[in-house]
Amino acid sequence: MLRTTLILCSACCAGMRDTPILAEPSPSFRNDVMAVLSKAGCNSGVCHGNQRGKGGFRLSLRGQDPADDFRVLTRGAGARRINRIHPERSLILLKPLMDVPHEGGRRFQRGSAEHRIFSQWLAAGMPADSPQLPRLNALQVQPRDHIIRHPQRTLQLQVRATFSDGSTRDVTHLAVYEPAADIFEIGHDGLVTATDQGETTVAVRFLERQAPVRIAFVPHRREFTWNPPRTVNYIDQHIFSRLRELRINPSAICDDTTFVRRAYLDLLGLLPSAAESRSFVLSQQTEKRRKLIDELLQRPEFSEAWALKWADLLRVEEKTLDRKGVQAFHAWIRHSIDHDLPLNIFAQTLVASRGSTYQEPESNFYRALRDPLTRAESTAQLFLGIRLQCAKCHNHPFDRWTQDDYYSWANLFSRVQYKILENRRRDRNDKHEFAGEQIVYIARTGEVINPQTGTAPRPRFLGTRNELTPDADRLLALSRWLGQSVNQQFARAQANRIWFQLLGRGLVDPVDDFRVTNPPSHPDLLSALAGDFSESGFRPRHLIRRIMNSSTYQLSSTPNATNARDECHFARTAIRRLSAEQLLDSLSQILDSPLQFNGYPPGFRAGQIPGVRAVRLRDQPSSAADKFLNLFGKPLRLQTCACERSAETTLAQTFQLVSGPLLNSMLAAEDNRLRTWAQMAPQHAKSVIDDLFWTALSRAPTPEERQRTHDYLQRATHRRQALEDIAWALLNSHEVILRR
Amino acid sequence: MNTGLHNTNRSRGVNNTVRVQPMSRRSVLSIGGSGFLGLSLHHWLQAAAPTQMPRPKARSVIFLYQFGGPSHLETFDMKPNAPSGIRGQFQPIASAAPGVSVCELLPETAKVMDKVTLLRSVHHNMKSHNPAAYYALTGHAPPLDDIRLRDSLELFPAYGSVVDRLAPASGGVPTFVSYPHVMRDGAITPGQHASFLGKRYDPLLVTQDPNAADFRLPELTLPANLHPDRLQNRRALQQLVERQTRLLDFSAKAQGLSAYYERALTMLNSQKIRAAFQLTDEPERIRREYGRTTYGQSCLLARRLVQAGVKFVNVYFSKSIGGQSTEQGGWDTHGFNNTRMFPIMKAYHLPRTDQTLPVFLNDLERTGLLDETLVVWMGEFGRTPKINDNISRDHWPNCYTVLLAGGGIHRGYVHGASDKNGAYPDHDPVRPDDLAATMFHQLGIPHDIEVRDQLNRPLPIAAGRPIRAILS
Repeated sequence: MLRTTLILCSACCAGMRDTPILAEPSPSFRNDVMAVLSKAGCNSGVCHGNQRGKGGFRLSLRGQDPADDFRVLTRGAGARRINRIHPERSLILLKPLMDVPHEGGRRFQRGSAEHRIFSQWLAAGMPADSPQLPRLNALQVQPRDHIIRHPQRTLQLQVRATFSDGSTRDVTHLAVYEPAADIFEIGHDGLVTATDQGETTVAVRFLERQAPVRIAFVPHRREFTWNPPRTVNYIDQHIFSRLRELRINPSAICDDTTFVRRAYLDLLGLLPSAAESRSFVLSQQTEKRRKLIDELLQRPEFSEAWALKWADLLRVEEKTLDRKGVQAFHAWIRHSIDHDLPLNIFAQTLVASRGSTYQEPESNFYRALRDPLTRAESTAQLFLGIRLQCAKCHNHPFDRWTQDDYYSWANLFSRVQYKILENRRRDRNDKHEFAGEQIVYIARTGEVINPQTGTAPRPRFLGTRNELTPDADRLLALSRWLGQSVNQQFARAQANRIWFQLLGRGLVDPVDDFRVTNPPSHPDLLSALAGDFSESGFRPRHLIRRIMNSSTYQLSSTPNATNARDECHFARTAIRRLSAEQLLDSLSQILDSPLQFNGYPPGFRAGQIPGVRAVRLRDQPSSAADKFLNLFGKPLRLQTCACERSAETTLAQTFQLVSGPLLNSMLAAEDNRLRTWAQMAPQHAKSVIDDLFWTALSRAPTPEERQRTHDYLQRATHRRQALEDIAWALLNSHEVILRR
Repeated sequence: MNTGLHNTNRSRGVNNTVRVQPMSRRSVLSIGGSGFLGLSLHHWLQAAAPTQMPRPKARSVIFLYQFGGPSHLETFDMKPNAPSGIRGQFQPIASAAPGVSVCELLPETAKVMDKVTLLRSVHHNMKSHNPAAYYALTGHAPPLDDIRLRDSLELFPAYGSVVDRLAPASGGVPTFVSYPHVMRDGAITPGQHASFLGKRYDPLLVTQDPNAADFRLPELTLPANLHPDRLQNRRALQQLVERQTRLLDFSAKAQGLSAYYERALTMLNSQKIRAAFQLTDEPERIRREYGRTTYGQSCLLARRLVQAGVKFVNVYFSKSIGGQSTEQGGWDTHGFNNTRMFPIMKAYHLPRTDQTLPVFLNDLERTGLLDETLVVWMGEFGRTPKINDNISRDHWPNCYTVLLAGGGIHRGYVHGASDKNGAYPDHDPVRPDDLAATMFHQLGIPHDIEVRDQLNRPLPIAAGRPIRAILS
C-alpha cells in the first residue's frame, strides 16, 4: 500500500513539467516575495499580521492583501526599513536574518531561497508587478491522503502551484505546513516525521490557496488479522474499509443491555423501564434491535428529545422570545419532528419566516437573532455547517471565505425588522428582555455595509457568484436556494449533524465547522449519507434508522488491542456523559420521584422543558432541579452552536450528587420507588435487589453484586436507609452517568 | 470577540519552517487545541524554555471589585485646584506616602498609602456598566459598549478561571473562589465565570453572606440525614458496581469521574478548606476590626482563603451598581431620584472602605502575606469631572484610578497621572489590558500565552503588556 502510493506519487511528479523558478529577471512581489513573507511567518497573527502589527510594522494577515503589503513595504512607514542605496543593508532583511535584534527571532538563513528572493527583489529596486503577472490558479499536494506505517516514520510532501499562464512550479520549499494536531513534525521542505500515533490534517498553504492532506501514522501490526462484525449497510462498508487500511479492528457488537439503553437515550432521552429492559434483553426474537428502533421512532418522546436538540440551536429561551413565544416555537419544532417534516422544508420555513411571533411561531427564528450579522453567522452555522465569524474582520485564515463573501451573505439578512407591539419587561435596564408580541417583517430598504469598502455589497449566497436582483425578496430567495437539491452543502451539514447526535463525533468535527482545512474523516461516507438523506426527502427518521441499524453504531465501547488509541475512525463507541436533561430524568425515573421545575407542574420531565428559565430569577430563585440542569451543562441558548452545551464532568457536579440537596431529597422522599421495597419481607430481599438493578442498570446483578448488596441489606439496622445507600451507588455508577 | 487580538491557527507551521533558531517563545505560547488539551502550565513549562517565563512574585491575587464605578475624584485622585463645577466637596489630606494625598474621608486608608501603588491613568471607552465591568473582570475589551452585551460563552473568562486553567492551585484547594454575590446590572454582568474555558474552571461561587451567623460552605456540608459513615458505605457499594464493567480499565471518562468522587470525599473529610471558611475561628477582635459588614467579613475571608492556598479570590463589594442608598449597593452615584452623591459617599462608601481596606492590608502585612499576595482594588470606570445637575457625577471611563498592593508591586508609588481636571491621562496611560498582563506576569504566567475559544481561535490571555514601572 505504502509502496504503491509512493510510486504513484513520484510518477505523477515526474510527469509534470517544471518551469524553472525565477524565470523572470527579478522575483515578482505577488508570487514570490509574498510567499516568503508567509513562509517566514512574518505575516502570521502573532507577528506583523496582527491587527495592530508588531513593533510598528503591520502586514496583512497571512498575506490576504498583497497590494497593501506592497504599499507598506515600499512606501508607508515601512519604507524606513528599506535602504535603497545598499539594499542588502535594509532592515527588512537584517531583522529576519537576525543580523540586528529581532523579537521574532531568525526567520530565514543567509543563502536560503527566502533570502535570495527577498534580496533580489530589493536589489532590483522593488519593482511593482506587471498587470499581466500570472495568478495562482491551483495548488496540488501529493499525496492527498496517506498512511505512514511504523517502522517508517517519514513522508515527503510535494507541492506544485499552477498559474494562469499554464506554467507550474514546485513550491514545496516555499509552502507553509500546519498540522491540526501535534503528532507530526514537518520540516521546512515538507518532510513529515511522525512523533505519535494517530491521524490528522495538515493544511498546506501557498500564497492565497490552501489544500488539506490527511496523514495517519499507525503501528505496523505484522500479525494483524482483519476480524470485523457483520457489514449491514453502506455505513459499515465505508467505516470498515478505512479501518482495515489502518489495520484497526472494530470492537465487537455491544450486548443487549448496552444497546437498549443506548437506543432509548438516543431516541427518547430516557432510560428503558425495568419491564422494557427485561423484555428486550431476554427476548429471543430475531431482528429485535431493528424492531426496537422502529418502535421507538414512533413514540411521542422521540419528538420531545429531538426538539430539544433543535431548541438549543434555535435559541429558544424566554428572555428574548418571552414565555409564550418559547412555548409556541417549541411546539412548532416538536410538531415538525412529530410529523416527519422534511428537514429542508423545516430550514426553508425558518429562513422565510415572518409575521407575528405568537401566530407564526417559526418567526421566532428571527426574533431570537436581533441583528443582521448574527442572523448571517447563525444561518451559515446552523444550516450549512460553516463558521463565518473569522471573515467578519479579515479573510478567513483557514478557509476560502473572504470579507466580501461575509458581508454579501450578511446583506441577505439586512431587512428583517421588528414591530414591537408591546414590551412588558420588568426591568427597563435589561434591554435583552422582551415580553409581548412582536411582528417580524421585511422592510423595503436596509443594507449591511462592509466596513472595509464602506459600501453595501450585493447580496449573494455563500459560495456562489450570482448576485440577487435588486428587487428580490432576499430571504425568500435564500430559502429557495437553501432547500434545493443542488445545495449539497445543506445535505452534508445536516447528515453530519444527525451522525454526530448518534455517534458523538461528527464526520466533520466540530459538527458545524466545515472548512477547507478541516476535511471530513470519511469523505465518501459523508457524501453517501448526504445522498441517502436527500433521496429520502430529507426525512430525519430515515437517516437515524439507517445509522442505528449499522454495525458501526452498535459497536461496543470496550476497546481491543488495535483500536484502544484510536479516536476518530469509529472503531468503537465513544463513551460520553448523559446530558443534563437525560441524567436528571434518569434519576427521577429510576427512583420514581417526580421533579419540580419553576413554572411547570410536578412530574414535568427535564427533556420536555421548552425553554431555559420559565420564571425570571428575580421573581423566584432557581429550583434545585433547575440548578442541577445548569450545573450539568444545559445551555443558556444564547449561541447557535452545539458547543454551548457542555458535556464536561466537574467537581461541582460530583458534589451535587454526593452532598447536594436534590438527589438526597429524591432518595429520602417517602413515597418514591424504594417505599414498596422497604416494606417487603426480608425473604424477598433478593428479588428487590434484582428489581433495583433492572430498573437502574437494565441488567441483573452479578453474583458478587447480589451477594454483597444482600448482605448489606440484611446487616442494616435501618432497612430503608440501606436501600437508599444501594440505590445511591447504582445511580452514581458509570453505567448510569455514562452512555457507553 | 475582538478578532484583532487573536493570532493565527497554529504557529507551529511557522516555527517548523525555521529550524535555525530554538523555538521562539512566542511561537510555542499556545495552549489548548488538540495537542495541548489538558496540559497545565506546569507541564507545559517543562516543554518550553523555563528561563523565558516570568518568575512568580505573587502566589495569589485578591481582586476587590467595586461595582458601579467609584469616583476617582472623591477617593484617590483629588483635584482641589480644579474650577468649581469640577472640584468636589471633600478636601484632600496628606498620606503616609510623601506627596500622595487622598480624600479626607479616608483617614485610615491614608495611613497605609505607603504600602500601595496608585495607577492614576487607567482608561478605556466603555460607558455602560456591564461592558466596562466585563473589561475590568477579564482584561478584554468587549465587542460592544452596550447594556445588551450578553453573558455568553463567546466572551472571555474571568481572570481566576484563566489561572485555574494554566496554573491551578495544588493540595485539594480550589484555585478560584468568588463571593458573596453574582453581580447584575439588569442582566448578569459578564466576566464572572470560566466561559469558553469550560465549567471545570468556574470559580467556587459562594453566595452566602460571610457576615451571617450561620455562614458556611454548602458543598462541604452534608445534609442532616446523611452521616459520614453512610457516605463511606455508599462509595464502597458504588465501587463494587463499577468493578463489574471494565470501564475504569480503559475509559478516561470513567477514570476522571471516579477521581472526582475521591476528591469530593477527601474534601468532605478534610479540615483545610472547610476551616478556611470557618470565620468563627477568627478572634472576635479581628472580626470587629474588619467591620461586621458583608464586605468587611468578605475581605477577612479572602485573607483566610489565600492562607489556605487559594490563588485567585474575587470579592464583589456589591450585587448591584447601587449609588442611591447609604445602606447597600455599589458606587453608581448619579444623583438619580433626587439623591446626591456627596452625602451618600460620605455616609456609606467612604467610611465602609476606610473601615475595611486599611485593616485588611495591615492584616496581610502582619500575617506575612502581603509580599506574595497582589491586592487589586478597582471598579469599571471613574466618574465625570464635571459635576452634573444632580450635584453628582456620571460614568467616566476616560481616566480613573486603580489601587494595587503587595505581590511584588512598588510601595508608596504613583504611576501615571490624570490631567488637571482628572479627565484624561496626562502621562503613562494604562489600559485594563495592561493591568491584566501585569497580574498574570506577577503570578508567573506569561501574559501572551494563548487559550482557544469555542471556535478554536487562539487568543492571548492578555492583550496588553505588564506595567514594568510598578514592579519592584
